[in-house]
Amino acid sequence: MEIKVKVNGEEKTASVPPETTLLSVLREQWGMTGSKVGCDVGDCGACTILYDGKPVNACLVLAGQANGHEVISIEGLGTPNNLDPIQKIFETHASLQCGFCGPGVIMSAKALLNRNPNPTRLDVRDALAGNLCRCTGYVKMIDAVMELVENNNSKAA
Amino acid sequence: MRPFEFISVSNAEEAVKALAAAAPNGKPVAGCTDLLVEIKHEASSAETLVDISQLDELRGISLVDEGLRIGASVTHTEIMDSELVAEHAPALQDAAHTVGAVQTRTLGTLAGNLVTCVPSMDSGPTLMALEAYVNILGSKGARQSSLQDLFVFVRKTSLEPDEIITDIIVPKKNLGKPTVFHKFGLRKGQALALVNAAGSLNVVDGKMADVRISLGAVAPVVIRCLKAEAHLEGKSAGDSAAITEAAGIALSETSPIDDFRASKAYRNELIKVLTKRCVEQSIAIANGK
Repeated sequence: MEIKVKVNGEEKTASVPPETTLLSVLREQWGMTGSKVGCDVGDCGACTILYDGKPVNACLVLAGQANGHEVISIEGLGTPNNLDPIQKIFETHASLQCGFCGPGVIMSAKALLNRNPNPTRLDVRDALAGNLCRCTGYVKMIDAVMELVENNNSKAA
Repeated sequence: MRPFEFISVSNAEEAVKALAAAAPNGKPVAGCTDLLVEIKHEASSAETLVDISQLDELRGISLVDEGLRIGASVTHTEIMDSELVAEHAPALQDAAHTVGAVQTRTLGTLAGNLVTCVPSMDSGPTLMALEAYVNILGSKGARQSSLQDLFVFVRKTSLEPDEIITDIIVPKKNLGKPTVFHKFGLRKGQALALVNAAGSLNVVDGKMADVRISLGAVAPVVIRCLKAEAHLEGKSAGDSAAITEAAGIALSETSPIDDFRASKAYRNELIKVLTKRCVEQSIAIANGK
């Protein structure tokens, strides 16, 4: 089937069999390997992307369903020389260790802050609950998001 | 992933036709958060997936003559965000919040949660306590079903292969009715319920009325505890002994399993505790506390 998806602001097309997930189209057709294949069944969140602005696991979106929709993947956030503030604060806090879960965690945090710029610590934990990390214990990730929130608030004040 | 056919349709009638043509190996799909996992685990024989996620007529939450209408492709996140649900059936938001994690709630739908028909579904008890029913469309036309009639067994509903749920209705008489949902899982996120419970009641002249108690993960399907309800009906809202007795009666109406998540004995305790909590907290809401 032919699909057309707006990815990180750019119209992309692909011709794939029906049994293809959006995750494999992103990685294998369009070369965007930032979204990771972890569990591939919606448990780990390593493939989290923004789908029409909301966080989803790309491993559970069929390519045919994604046709006509809009996607922001980790490649759409920052560049190595110009990191998104959420990426920068994760670096400052050394919030990631092996890094495999990182793109998914960052997309979940981004989705939260887009929707709620002033979350509580509990809101952050809730927003990251679908992202498994086997290295860090999550504390530094949550600290990083909370510091970004505080920085944004003190700028706004 | 193994091959299957994927069909996009432009309205519900087309979806039904496509499912009839593919019967018995067609499945309607929306959020895909359960069915795609089953296919990947080779636990589903579906050969044709009919995508109903894009149909406008299955979307939206609105007040209609019958009550609160929730379209079949409304997601758990949409329920959490809905001002109408917050005003008329806030316990549904508490239940939606306990489904999976954020990513699952963005894609997963209320109707999908019902038709997957696992005993631990988080949407079932609250909807059942609110006496919600579903509107169904199939080749033979439209019909309605209670949730009790919809749920047949673990992963089995009474839907024909060519039938889809079009919407879920919370009846008007139960909008704003004091209702409480509790899920007990081993974690707050990404955890299946050990026991799910919902209670719903009115307090009229200091007495409990219209008592509804529904439990999940305690039997092959989500159940109503009719005997426990009857025990409380008409009793004083301050009769804590009766509430404790009702929790014990509710336990007698269940048949929880022993598995790796929890022992039967532990689930039995949870059933009593959560039933009591749902009833007591519904009374507190009714009394304006």
